Amino acid sequence: MITGASLVLSLTACGLSVPADPDGTLAAVSGGELRAGTSPDGSLVTVDDGRPAGPVVDLVEAFAASVDAEVDWTVASEESLVTRLEAGDLELIAGGITADTPWLDRAGVSRGYRDIEGAGDREIVMLVPLGENAFLSRLEAFLDAEVGR
Amino acid sequence: MTETHQFGRTTLPQEQVSARRSAIRWEIFTIVYTSITIALIALVVGNSQAMRTAWIEDMLSLVPQIAFLTALIFVRRRPDRTHPYGMHRAMGVGHLVAGVALLAVGLNLAVEAVTGLVSGEHPTIGTVVLWGHTVWLGWLMVAVMSVVIIGPVFFYGPAKARLAPILHNKLLYADADMAKADWQTTVASIVGVLGVGAGVWWLDGAAALFISLGIIWDGVRNTKAAVVDLMDQRARTHDSRGPHPLAADIVSYLRSRPWIADAGVRMRDQGQVFHIEAFVVPRRGRVRLDDITRTAEGVADLDWKVQDVVISPVEKLPDEADTGR
Repeated sequence: MITGASLVLSLTACGLSVPADPDGTLAAVSGGELRAGTSPDGSLVTVDDGRPAGPVVDLVEAFAASVDAEVDWTVASEESLVTRLEAGDLELIAGGITADTPWLDRAGVSRGYRDIEGAGDREIVMLVPLGENAFLSRLEAFLDAEVGR
Repeated sequence: MTETHQFGRTTLPQEQVSARRSAIRWEIFTIVYTSITIALIALVVGNSQAMRTAWIEDMLSLVPQIAFLTALIFVRRRPDRTHPYGMHRAMGVGHLVAGVALLAVGLNLAVEAVTGLVSGEHPTIGTVVLWGHTVWLGWLMVAVMSVVIIGPVFFYGPAKARLAPILHNKLLYADADMAKADWQTTVASIVGVLGVGAGVWWLDGAAALFISLGIIWDGVRNTKAAVVDLMDQRARTHDSRGPHPLAADIVSYLRSRPWIADAGVRMRDQGQVFHIEAFVVPRRGRVRLDDITRTAEGVADLDWKVQDVVISPVEKLPDEADTGR
């Protein structure tokens, strides 16, 4: 117990913020551009002339606003989106992805959120690059407040 | 034959009886405590390889405990025609099973940790909601690991370490040793998780590797000790540090008998009790049966562990016998 407490104290004393991003995603996105990807999904994500719209899209836009970022949307299939996420060309994937997603090994999966309009009774998650914990935590904190989990 | 001299008798003196009862109570307490900590860690294990390894190590710790309690059921049974040496070796078998389980799972976990490190997988640890606050799961992991360590290091580890030499039980000793060393696992997993928190993603895999190496080492040590005992190596102390001094005591007792000129013993560890073959060179060409009987009883009186005694009069002591010199 004492070891745990002293380690925690020494970390905070170093001025490190916990959790942190190994690849600095949150820092890169804040005040800059959030490159997000989505795929069409019923009433949850509709694509009109290459531009996505819907409840999930609104959530992502609101999140970006909360970190002073502009969203640059990419609409493609889930698989190509995940490949781009892995390559570092995207920071976020949102759409009709649920907690049962098979992309667990290739992307960081957020907690699931019910009660998103248009999702039915699905538990919707969002995908972030693996290990970007500060970014993920910021996203989840935002979604907790907005969706009220 | 008096009551004392029944080959491999299994009745214990009072000190050992209370120690055994105490050991059983501590083992049951440990099993209950560990079941609770396993459930607790399951709630926070998340994607951390270090946490997963610590969790599996916790589950593995149940193996020596269950092996000990199971072996005790057999060890109590009196020798009969089907099992003329008694069932003491059940404790040795339990020791071997525990050692092999640790070794196999430890190797598995080490491979997993190394694979994760080599492929550069960054652990994703997000948040949970606690009483309306969004909290990083890593903090919960640190909290759980800090609390869980209290039982093994401060309570049941030292308690079982005290009981093991009284019962000359190597399985109990191994169990106690691993419990006391549990603090290393806790520190490693805390360092791993906080490392991930600080952005040093590979600390998680490194911590997992460190913990699994500890498990492998425990597995190797215990497997080796159990195997040599099952192969009838010369009996050693409960911590396997050196040959057991009882052999030398028995030899000096035998030499002190007026009818014995020289003596040597072969003493092997059957699991908790010893099996003694005493070779004696008599002073005269003939020996009296009641001399042999009384001497055997005298040896059995030396220690509760020394019940299975066979005295063989010989012309010359065999080379491999321990002559206490």
